[in-house]
Amino acid sequence: MSQVELYHEQTARQRVAAIADAGSFAEILPPPERLTSPYLAQLGIPVSFDDGIVIGRATIDGKKVYIAAQVGPFIGGSVGEIHGAKLTGLFMAAARNRVPCVVLIESGGVRLHEGSAGEIAIAETMRAIFDCRARKVATIAVIGSDIGAYGGMGILSACCDFRVMTEHGRLGVSGPIVIEKWMGKQAYDSSNRALVWKTSGGKTKYLLNDAEALVHDNAGAVRAAIAKLLRKSGPVNLETAKARQQELEKRLKRFSGTADPDDVWKSLGVRDIERASLASAPEFVELVKAGKATVGKIRR
Amino acid sequence: MKKTQPPRALLAKLFGASAKGIGIESSVLTGYATAGGGEVCVIGTCNGTYIDNAAALRLAAHVIDCVEHHRKTPIVMLVDSAGQEPNRVAEMLGLASYFGHLLSCLELARRNGHTLITVATGKAIGGAFICYGMFADRIYALDSASVGLMPVEAMSAVTKIPVSVLKKLSRTMPSLEFGARPFALLGGVQEVWSAKDDLQAKLSQAIASASADDNRAALGKKRGGRKLALDVRNRVLAETAK
Repeated sequence: MSQVELYHEQTARQRVAAIADAGSFAEILPPPERLTSPYLAQLGIPVSFDDGIVIGRATIDGKKVYIAAQVGPFIGGSVGEIHGAKLTGLFMAAARNRVPCVVLIESGGVRLHEGSAGEIAIAETMRAIFDCRARKVATIAVIGSDIGAYGGMGILSACCDFRVMTEHGRLGVSGPIVIEKWMGKQAYDSSNRALVWKTSGGKTKYLLNDAEALVHDNAGAVRAAIAKLLRKSGPVNLETAKARQQELEKRLKRFSGTADPDDVWKSLGVRDIERASLASAPEFVELVKAGKATVGKIRR
Repeated sequence: MKKTQPPRALLAKLFGASAKGIGIESSVLTGYATAGGGEVCVIGTCNGTYIDNAAALRLAAHVIDCVEHHRKTPIVMLVDSAGQEPNRVAEMLGLASYFGHLLSCLELARRNGHTLITVATGKAIGGAFICYGMFADRIYALDSASVGLMPVEAMSAVTKIPVSVLKKLSRTMPSLEFGARPFALLGGVQEVWSAKDDLQAKLSQAIASASADDNRAALGKKRGGRKLALDVRNRVLAETAK
């Protein structure tokens, strides 16, 4: 058997290279451009020549795409002014040139060291994402790293047409450490990895319909999922907005008295929690499909 | 501590007698009022409340109602929220998706010809500002509002950089400072209003002059608070124009 590379262990550039058609990736504003953060320099913190994000053009199955990949090891993939402007620019270019845009998220959100500059950049990028969608240009967020997509980047991912997740990916607004500080270890023990992943991990998000695809933790599987979604995109319309409103209202009502993610899993058709926890992403998808059918039958 | 006005007094300043059409329930505002001689839809938060899944849904429901039954009526978003409450169950149920849905509803409104105006009236902090207020066509703030990512003290606690260092740097880097005026220097706020201003006139003017193009990066460069964003973005656009 050939060696399997895990997506969550790859660097941002390795991920891009593995997802794009071989040799097709061309980076925009690459490290030799030396775009570094003046904020970090003033604070005496090491800078990075790409400010923690790789952007560029590539093809996937021969189709033109723009790809951005955040660099988690550089200050948690956080969004500073330059980092954010690269991302905004890429989505603006995607809208203008009608080229689908994929963002490989690995970020805790706004870079605190740059204060509100990163916050505004995220808001600007959201506008650009919706400009893409209005032109039916697909926008896809991939969430498959241990850092996940949190804070403003979590919210930004929810603005894209689609979210592709691996079971390693986590999606949320407040992270576990912040919540533990706020609510106490009793309510949320951030060192309890099983609970953290069941709260914000790919399996739960897929089950709730907040992620459209749940795939193996490798770039090939991520690439295949992206390829299926590149031609699908849609502006928000009244019908979809009303349907989503109903769905989210129902979810809140149904689980308002629930604190245990296992109850959510069971209620959504996962019969064997132990088996589902250990299942690979594709196996989990199958279990969910089988379970959902059963749940539906009972209700009817 | 900065004084925040009681919500009703502030609503009366912004909407006059028509403010009675705005309901307040658990510090979430929804309703219809009058501004600039025409009807406006109002959504918002007050009392610095935390915004959660349920609050986001109520705001979204009102935006949908406006799009469906009040064609092209401008939407005024008032922001006085300290952020999202860090809560495990809220996260488990997908808080990011609730916020994304609220933003999608506002996008739907914009595409259907509704002007979107935000007035940051109190706290406009982090996720609470990102999840609706910062999505407006044009954003205004009262000079008393607490606008920004987080206060310097909180920034220091997380980054371990001493408050004194951050405060000194904030003199040349308004992005590190907290408040309506520094946020305006970054282009994140179009204009700062004073409580002494005729807020009804200001709001009416804001609605009349609004434009849906995102001018924040250009404004940030012009005002000197965010010098790099526009140029970096333009370089990406130039590189991809070939």
